[in-house]
Amino acid sequence: MKTTMNESPTLTLNAETHSSKEETPSSQPNHPARKTTIRQAFSTLLADMERSPGFYVWVSFLIAVIFLAGYSLLMSLIYSMEIFEFSLKIPWEMMVSNYIFLVGSSVGLCLVVSLGSVFGLKRYELIGKRGLFLALISIILGLSSIGLHLGHPERGAIYNALTPNLFSAMWYMSTLYPPYIACIAVWYWLLARRDLARTAAESEGLRAKIYNILALEGLKAYAYERMPLQRWESKLNRTIPLQKLGLSLDAENADLSWARVLGTLALISGLIAYTIEGSLFAHTEARPFWYGPLYPIDFFLGAGFCGFSWLMALGILTHKLKREQFSEAYRTLLSEMAEILALLLSAGVLFTAYKMGHGLFEPLKVKTVMLFLNGPFSLNFWIFEIAIGLVLPIPILIYSARKRKTAGIATASIMVLAGYFVKKYDFVVASQVYPVIKEGLPSYFPAIMEIILIGGIIATFLLVYTLGARFLPLKEEGSHRGPVI
Amino acid sequence: MSRKKSEKKPINKIGRRRFLKVLAGVPVYAALGPVGIASGETRRYGKLVDTLRCIGCKRCMSACKRWNKLHVEREELLTDRNTDLSGNNFVVVNLRADRKNRAQRTYVHWTCQHCAKPACVGACPVTAITKLSRGPVVINESKCIGCRYCYQSCPYKVPRFDFEKRVSRKCTLCYDRIPLLDYMKPACVAACPVGALHYGLKEDIILEAKKRVERRKGPAYILGLEEAGGTDILTILPAKPENMGLVVAPKKVVNQDLDKIRITASGFMGASVLAGLMYGYGHLNKTDGSEQDQDKKGHEDDHE
Ligand code: SF4
Ligand code: SF4
Repeated sequence: MKTTMNESPTLTLNAETHSSKEETPSSQPNHPARKTTIRQAFSTLLADMERSPGFYVWVSFLIAVIFLAGYSLLMSLIYSMEIFEFSLKIPWEMMVSNYIFLVGSSVGLCLVVSLGSVFGLKRYELIGKRGLFLALISIILGLSSIGLHLGHPERGAIYNALTPNLFSAMWYMSTLYPPYIACIAVWYWLLARRDLARTAAESEGLRAKIYNILALEGLKAYAYERMPLQRWESKLNRTIPLQKLGLSLDAENADLSWARVLGTLALISGLIAYTIEGSLFAHTEARPFWYGPLYPIDFFLGAGFCGFSWLMALGILTHKLKREQFSEAYRTLLSEMAEILALLLSAGVLFTAYKMGHGLFEPLKVKTVMLFLNGPFSLNFWIFEIAIGLVLPIPILIYSARKRKTAGIATASIMVLAGYFVKKYDFVVASQVYPVIKEGLPSYFPAIMEIILIGGIIATFLLVYTLGARFLPLKEEGSHRGPVI
Repeated sequence: MSRKKSEKKPINKIGRRRFLKVLAGVPVYAALGPVGIASGETRRYGKLVDTLRCIGCKRCMSACKRWNKLHVEREELLTDRNTDLSGNNFVVVNLRADRKNRAQRTYVHWTCQHCAKPACVGACPVTAITKLSRGPVVINESKCIGCRYCYQSCPYKVPRFDFEKRVSRKCTLCYDRIPLLDYMKPACVAACPVGALHYGLKEDIILEAKKRVERRKGPAYILGLEEAGGTDILTILPAKPENMGLVVAPKKVVNQDLDKIRITASGFMGASVLAGLMYGYGHLNKTDGSEQDQDKKGHEDDHE
């Protein structure tokens, strides 16, 4: 051990002096070369713009929306957070509903993907990468949505750790999501690593470098160069059989069974965190409509809707826009997913009927239920939640699944998502009306600044997905297949 | 001036020893969080609000604003102007009519009820709210993250968000006046010119409230004996709170820890059923290996 300790610093020192000596003379003549690469990059960009103007128009549109949201955020900092509220008595509005929508989507996506990686349904492994990438960005943006809603997000992290309240659902929620995010991220990386490495091998220059870093390819060589890793590895191998455990530093040899382990961890943490998310609402006895053991379960149904819908809607749209062929296996899987979604939606119809019917006979809930059935939320409820979000998609999904029509499946999925988004908004806002606001609100519509901000968050979601779909391996194919782009 | 005497003194004068105890207790309990809830040792204080005596002068409101350094908004201290609790209004006095008897109109002094078992304390994720053993429920504003969960869980919807400080704020029962011997009553109580507000030991104010109700000829209702599991603020109303247009709290402790566990447990049960269903689905449908076999090349599957 001692010798290695002594050796390594000198080695690194040598390496450093070496490189600095080499770099100084070569850095000056490098300049013109760099200029040409910038020019080259610019011209490639222009050529690319000409080839696919739609992509650039879409991206610029999203960026514009994000800038608008940045403006509203800036205004809230300069003036007051009050610009996001339409009533002081309803402090949880769209930012909270958008948060539970996105987090629900993430957990739902994790559930669907885990059918493949964790529960051993091979055909679901097709959608693994797209599903996990979406799960990752949706949970991160969901958490930023709630972070922006907090008065002091910076204190959140500190006092969450320093003074936890073990009886507060909100504490558990904010504590459990970070490990969930980590699991999802590593899980995606494990599935995508081989593709990243292959893309790196096929491209050159900066691009190859970036993909290599993303795949952690070459890590082994680098580590062998810098550290006495070989000695450690042989020692470790004697005690723990690294290769057999699939812990390889090469992308090609990595074993995907680790994906199963991480998938299981992600699934468990996601399920727990999302149950607690539902409990957060279900605990508040002072809000009769939220209160009770029904909501944690309802949340899971919703997560299922979102998981299947996002995967089908974005998977199909991306394939169509990139003019890619649907593989036969993928088509079959889409039909199956559509059928499952139809089944879940029918369960949702029954659940909603039960919830509303039950509420009618509970004196504490009846007023809120009437807000939905025949009040200011009735348009949202009957048109968006029931018609668009639950009932109409069922026949469309079944018909399209039978005929294997992807357009129909995508349309129905988007309808479900829109309906569910509105449903979450109604769920959050309508429940806060009673008992504080007896005379009713002047408006039940979110404040315009809040709409802009949420628009920005959704736009960021779509932008990151668009870029991901272009540059990262998301496609529905076996993870070992060649190039992605 | 002997200590023995001081313990028997009327309620609004606290013995020095007890005072020192409280003084020492405040930071300790503030640090301990919900553990500090109403231990039997220190005696609890409360406030009696006698709306039947209130003349609606709103001096309590302005005294509160002065003590807590809150903004005064134009016209809100006018007698008949109705206001709402906010980050800048810890206490409000509103003219309320009895729904059953419109002629009966009363000024109601309304604020945080300082519940004996506060729901807000159990909800706050970062333990920014504490029930001090002496009675007050206090939000630590330098800790609050501004999530407004306390507002949602409070049966009276009291803690309101202050958009300037970006934290939830509410009445503190002037716990910060206690160390000042001249100011041992809350600011509002000290300011009331007609004795409609009264501050003292919880037992004493309960007796006092009952006495006042007995003395009154007409109907009266004491709010806070049972509501939300009992509160440290008692309010004598001429009619039931629901008829006076007040928020009605259930007559039991709200948001109990056991209840929370029950609900979350049912959620976990749902989650396990879901996982079980997925497992079953995966098990029943495993026959599709054939089409994927060509895809298998890369992944060696040691599971199954
Ligand atoms: S009235 Fe509300 S804010 Fe006041 S102690 Fe009770 S639960 Fe907390
Ligand atoms: S708003 Fe502040 S005091 Fe209220 S629950 Fe959240 S962190 Fe606690």
